Amino acid sequence: MNEREVLLKRVQICDFALADTALFLDTHPENQMALDFYKKYLEMRKAAADAYTSRFGPLVHSDYDGGPRWNWVDNPWPWQNEEA
Amino acid sequence: MWMYSKKLQYPVKIKNPNPAMAKIIMTQLGGPDGETGAAMRYLHQRYSCPYGEVTGILTDVGTEELGHMEMISAIVYQLTRRLCMDEIKQSGFDSYFVDHTTGIYPVSAAGIPFTMDYLASKGDIITDLHEDLAAEQKARTTYDNILRLSDDPDVKDAIRFLREREIVHYQRFGEALRITQDNLDCKNFYAFNPEFDIRQARALEKSRK
Repeated sequence: MNEREVLLKRVQICDFALADTALFLDTHPENQMALDFYKKYLEMRKAAADAYTSRFGPLVHSDYDGGPRWNWVDNPWPWQNEEA
Repeated sequence: MWMYSKKLQYPVKIKNPNPAMAKIIMTQLGGPDGETGAAMRYLHQRYSCPYGEVTGILTDVGTEELGHMEMISAIVYQLTRRLCMDEIKQSGFDSYFVDHTTGIYPVSAAGIPFTMDYLASKGDIITDLHEDLAAEQKARTTYDNILRLSDDPDVKDAIRFLREREIVHYQRFGEALRITQDNLDCKNFYAFNPEFDIRQARALEKSRK
C-alpha cells in the first residue's frame, strides 16, 4: 500500500465502524454503549479525514480547501486500481 | 438527498483480469438478487413507513447498497481491463462485449438487463420487511455461490465483505420487524395496515400512552 492508500484505509475503517454502528442505533436508539462507540469513532474519523484530505484532496465536495484548482476531478477515482 | 464520497466502502484491488468471472459477478449489479435491486427496494419502501426506527434502517441500508453497487462495478471494471480479443472470445465475454464493450451495464449473469420486477414495495411494512429479510438471504446465497466459483483471493476478499453485510442487514431487518410488531395490536398484527389505516394506528398509539 502506498501512503495515500494507508491514509484512505484509516478513513474507510472509521466510516465502516460508523456506518455499521448507525444501523445498530437505528434499531437501538437508546443504547448508550453504541452511542459512546459512535462518538469515539466520529472523533477518529475527523482526524483521519483531515490527514487524508490535507495531502490527497477532497473526499466530499465540501472538503474544498480554497485552492486555485477544483482537484475533485483528479484521478484516481475509487474504482481505479492504481497498481494494476 | 445524497452526497458522493470519493472512496469505496471496502477496498477493491484486483491484479488479474478475468472476463468470465466478471460476467458472473455482474449478476450482483443487475441480477435478481443484486445490489441495484436491494438499493431500489429499501429506498422506495421507506416513504410510507410509519415507524422512525424502521424508516431509519431502510434509509441507511438502502444507502449502503448504493455503495455496494459501486463495489461490484469496481470488481467488474478491474476484471475486464486490458483484455485482448482472444481472451474476450475464449472466455464467453464476447456476448456482453458486442453490446457494451467493457462499459458497466447492469445485467444478470445470463445477460438479462436489470428490471424493477425483481423487487416489491407493497405499502405494508410487515410484508415489505419479510421481502427484505428474504432478499438479504438470497443475496447471501448468491455471494456463497460466487465464492464457490472464484479462486482469486483478490476477488474473494471483496466478495466476503459483501456477503457479511447481507447477514448484518438481515439481523437489523429482523429487529425492525420486532419493533413493527411491538407497535401493532399484539392479538392481531394484521388488524390494520399502519401505512394505510393511519387513524387506527394513531388511536392504538394514543391508548398506550
